[in-house]
Amino acid sequence: MFDEIFAEIPILILLLVIPLVGAVATLFMGGERQKYAKYVAGAFSGVTLVLAILLMFVDNTALLSENYLWIDAANIRISFILEMDGLSLLMVLLTALLVFLVVVFSASESDRPNYFHTLIMAMELGLMGVYLSADYFLFYIMWEVTLIPMYFMISWYGGPRRHYAAIKFFIYTHIASLVMLIGIFAVVFEAAAVNPGVIADFSFAAVNAASGSFGEVFQVLVFGLLFFGFAVKMPAVPFHTWLPDAHVEAPTGGSVLLAGVMLKMGSYGIIRVALNALPDGAIWWAEIILVVALISIVYGAYACIAQTDLKKMVAYSSINHMGMVMLGIAASLLYVKYAASPDASIAQIGIMFAVFQMFAHGLVTAVLFMVCGYTGHALGTREIPLLGGLAGKLPAYATFMMVGFMASLGLPGLVGFWGEFGVIFSFYVAAEAMGMIWLIVFCLLSIMLNAGFYIWAMQRTLFGRETTKIDLSHVHDVSKAEGFALAVLCVIIALFGIWPDFALGYIETFVANFAIPGV
Amino acid sequence: MIPIEFFLMFSAILFVIGIYGIMTKNNAIVVLMCIELVLNAANINLVAFAAYNGDIMGQVFVVFTVAVAACEVAVGIAILLNAYKMKKTTVIDDLTELRW
Amino acid sequence: MFIEYTWLIPVIPLIFFVIIGLTGNKTPKEGGIIAIIGALASLVLSVLVVYEFLTGPAYNGGVGYVTDAVTWFSIPGGFTLTLGYYVDGLTCVMLMFSSLISLLIFIYSIGYMHDQGKRNRRYFAEVSLFLAGMLGLIISNNYLMTFVFWEIMGLCSYLLIGFWSFRHPEGDVASDNAASAAKKAFIVTRLGDVSFMGGLFVLLYAFQSLDYVNLFDPAAIAAVDTNLIVLATLLLFGGAIGKSAQFPLQDWLPDAMAGPTTVSALIHAATMVKAGVYLVARSYPLFVQSADVMLLVGLIGGITAILAASMALNNMNIKKVLAYSTISQLGYMIMALGAGGYMMAIGMKEGNTALIAAGAAGYTAGVFHMFNHAFFKALLFLGSGSVIHSCGTEDMREMGGLGKKMKWTSITMLIGSMSIAGFPFFSGFWSKDLVLESVMKASEFGPEGDIFMIIWILGVVTAFMTAFYMFRMWYMTFAGPEGHATEHSHGESPSTMTVPLMLLSIFAFGSGFLILFGLDGIITISPDSITGAFIVGMHEGHGAVHYIEELFTNPYTYLTIVLALLGIYIAYLMYSKFSVNPGRFNREGESRLYKALEKRWWFPQLYDWISWKFGYGIAKGVDYFDRNVIDGTVNGLSGSVVGSGESAKYVQTGNVGNYASIVMIGVAAVFVAALILIYYMGGM
Repeated sequence: MFDEIFAEIPILILLLVIPLVGAVATLFMGGERQKYAKYVAGAFSGVTLVLAILLMFVDNTALLSENYLWIDAANIRISFILEMDGLSLLMVLLTALLVFLVVVFSASESDRPNYFHTLIMAMELGLMGVYLSADYFLFYIMWEVTLIPMYFMISWYGGPRRHYAAIKFFIYTHIASLVMLIGIFAVVFEAAAVNPGVIADFSFAAVNAASGSFGEVFQVLVFGLLFFGFAVKMPAVPFHTWLPDAHVEAPTGGSVLLAGVMLKMGSYGIIRVALNALPDGAIWWAEIILVVALISIVYGAYACIAQTDLKKMVAYSSINHMGMVMLGIAASLLYVKYAASPDASIAQIGIMFAVFQMFAHGLVTAVLFMVCGYTGHALGTREIPLLGGLAGKLPAYATFMMVGFMASLGLPGLVGFWGEFGVIFSFYVAAEAMGMIWLIVFCLLSIMLNAGFYIWAMQRTLFGRETTKIDLSHVHDVSKAEGFALAVLCVIIALFGIWPDFALGYIETFVANFAIPGV
Repeated sequence: MIPIEFFLMFSAILFVIGIYGIMTKNNAIVVLMCIELVLNAANINLVAFAAYNGDIMGQVFVVFTVAVAACEVAVGIAILLNAYKMKKTTVIDDLTELRW
Repeated sequence: MFIEYTWLIPVIPLIFFVIIGLTGNKTPKEGGIIAIIGALASLVLSVLVVYEFLTGPAYNGGVGYVTDAVTWFSIPGGFTLTLGYYVDGLTCVMLMFSSLISLLIFIYSIGYMHDQGKRNRRYFAEVSLFLAGMLGLIISNNYLMTFVFWEIMGLCSYLLIGFWSFRHPEGDVASDNAASAAKKAFIVTRLGDVSFMGGLFVLLYAFQSLDYVNLFDPAAIAAVDTNLIVLATLLLFGGAIGKSAQFPLQDWLPDAMAGPTTVSALIHAATMVKAGVYLVARSYPLFVQSADVMLLVGLIGGITAILAASMALNNMNIKKVLAYSTISQLGYMIMALGAGGYMMAIGMKEGNTALIAAGAAGYTAGVFHMFNHAFFKALLFLGSGSVIHSCGTEDMREMGGLGKKMKWTSITMLIGSMSIAGFPFFSGFWSKDLVLESVMKASEFGPEGDIFMIIWILGVVTAFMTAFYMFRMWYMTFAGPEGHATEHSHGESPSTMTVPLMLLSIFAFGSGFLILFGLDGIITISPDSITGAFIVGMHEGHGAVHYIEELFTNPYTYLTIVLALLGIYIAYLMYSKFSVNPGRFNREGESRLYKALEKRWWFPQLYDWISWKFGYGIAKGVDYFDRNVIDGTVNGLSGSVVGSGESAKYVQTGNVGNYASIVMIGVAAVFVAALILIYYMGGM
């Protein structure tokens, strides 16, 4: 619909430039002007959101590719390539939406609001860069760009143990990204080495073209490096412990972006980088990915039950839900590995719903963290045993919490269900090919446990007798700005829940062109 | 012509004296002076090689080293003066603030 | 012309749910009137659809169903999921009683909930959403859509049980109870739902579709591995066990009585709990692929029936008695479906048409009992609601003698009690005897037929117990001396409450006669003799003569009648005439059996034990492991880096002389090493 217009403007780079300008603009709004920072940030993120929504209506995605040569010296070529397909589109949309809603939700932030919004806009820049780049070097730089604003977000605006959490977050994920960097260098230079006379080109296309001639052992080893880098980010058990600490200490806006979009960088990396560059390695690692996924699912769900901090519980539930994403990826690989005559389209199911689950989890978890954030700053505590009977006093809060919890536990009619349904179905197909359908029991157990801890938490916070352990006399229900952000998310959750094809349509075109390893 | 070994020997003796001074002396001024000895030992080598090879490059380096040494002494004395103001001493063994 | 708009039936209440949710407080009766309009519209449309279907070509000699769908989404690999409607005889029966009873209960709610003020907005919004869920479940054309609406009903059930889970009019303890009951209901039924979901995966994988049309196609069934179908049906039955409160997941239903009585009547008696029975009936073509599965179904039904009936015997809470009786009656339905399916499965294997017809009669019995039960149980619950509304307690020991003060309530409840007890010619009589007859017949066939004999005995004993506890309840409430609560009662309830009671009592008495006028023709299932396709509804019933002849020539019918009358008489002696002291049989409440019944056969403890051990216990272990082992390793690693730096830092003495010495020693060492190396390498 907008093809002709977009043919004229480099819209993808605008998605990076607008947040950058926004970040710089808010950075210099010190002193008296700092209370206007939120309007500036809102305007810039709003424009980005509008652009991202317009991109949904582009029919010819070939238009959405921008290529600028960056460094071309000493036999190394690094380009500034931005590309968009169905997967990128959903992630970009999610990023733009959540950043805008975070700015709206954080309207009452009074501690150095200009820097707060600078960090948010900088994070948007990095996230957009990760999801749009088609060059390993750019990808890595943008990956690191997301890290630094989040570090400052936690260590400046966080809770009492913020320094510990911020350092832990930074070092843990930074080690992972360095390991990933080694993997990236390995594939790039191996791609140059296997084709004599070719210079080391960092673009995805150049590496993917050479991936067929990578040796088996090389693929297995380097996939391990990349997988470690991405698994820490997702995060997968046992590399997950930075996440609960980071979430507990991070401010609400930081948590929403951290869980809503930054965790997706891990699974995005596996799909976009690891599977494409190292197909044989992926197939070799399939069982290990499956085991990690199943452990994450069950372990994450169990860990949720034991938590007393509402936000920590939600943080662990992210581990569970991102485990579902990994399970979808594993299902595709395992199906290819074990099926007698793998059908290319059936192999797509797992990746397709893994992507949908990423999208769904981003929406749902944003609601959850906003609700938790409200709990923390309005009631002064997030300890579940101190809460109780809040539904009578705070009906809007209770409604949003219920929608969020129900969506997260996979109630049909809300978006969370379709991700789980599709992923488990794809895994069922793979398990059938492996001859081990009993493995499905772990998934069903996870659904059961999800219902258990969410409903139990709801019983203890919203229902029953009204708590006397904290002073509720001055507590007000969610403010207009917070309510707006939550309501928008809830409507979107219901919309995609009733008609998942809105999102599945984009993913379908993506997986149709996606080279599943081994097919 | 004086054989080159003489120059090298002389420079080595000068160097060792300087090192000995750095390691044993307690007064910071003396240590600075010993550092100058070490530097000049190197200068003598440079000049000697330059003369024997007929290459001007060595002498250029000597001039450069002298300039660096002058700067170093200026900075060193300034640090020392400040340390003396605060600690009322120039004994190196007492100036051990820069440690764990 | 109306049937194309079947999809509107659930959509109307859904729209009204949104309207009430957003604007409820500004509309008359806090949304009550809007909810009633929505239910009425759905009822009218249902009637039109049912009329058109029953007079249309599909039913009269056609394939037996009308269906249409749009694609919802498709999964790569040829899996297509649709949204649509599927109308056949079973759909018609379900639509009629669900929408009619819902409308009556909505009207009743106006009176019953009048003192709730602004909370009614929430109430009417949630019941409208519930109605949308129930009607959507009934008309859906595939299992996925069924599952979606199934879960929406579960959500509404959760919300409505917890309606008073905060700021309960009776105080904090009641709030806590409601909150806990809602949680239990959701989680226990969720266990069944997860099983249902597993069944969906198996079916979707096996058939590449979840549409009833494709799944019930005999050619498709023949092409699929029977083991997969058996697995799928077992998993689906797991869903039915959860939703219809069958053994061993029955224990959530009595707790669910913490909700408003109208909710108990609507959701936990008349409609939602029937969804499990409906699912089994709907999936009959798949279930009858294995006689063993059907045997299990029948057995679960029989165990549930007697287990629940036993717990109703000594309960003092009027709603709990009704809740147990609901579980027990649901057991009857499942029992009948199991018996019928067992016979049909064997008949299909042997090609025995008579046996298939007998199986179809079992199916008819189960669905017919579901139909009758909806009316009389809704009536009984609404009656008990009227009683509770009037005297403000649920404890029957404080009631008694209410018959004089609440004339209409007592009469209508008497009709309901007689119906459920199986008093001749009341609706429960017809269906219950059909159920028992089917089970009896099933015991004559197949290698495991004897088990059905046991199930039949369980059923007959249950029939006796039912008559006893229902009349125990009626006598304790309405007869005898006036209790404490009776003296303070408000008298008869307003007409918004009594009129629905009267209307329901007409159905509770008369709905059984419908079978004499061809209802069995609508709710029967049989494989077509040529194509093998299952057709629900043969468009002609057996008619009055057939049934009356069959019933009254069967000696067992008289046995059940006698047992029912005996039960009523014993209840009369104990609780109205007081000539027999019930304490004699239970050693004044000290006997072991009495205690077991009071403790609900220890099921709540079992649930608690499982959830604490396998839920919280493991969770605590995981949490400990997470904090100490995994996070401990991470912190330990960082600690060891910091620690090694700590110990290495003492090299920095701060003494310049030391630094210089170390440098010199280093230089000398390198120099010496170089010399040695060069010497040994043979250079110079």
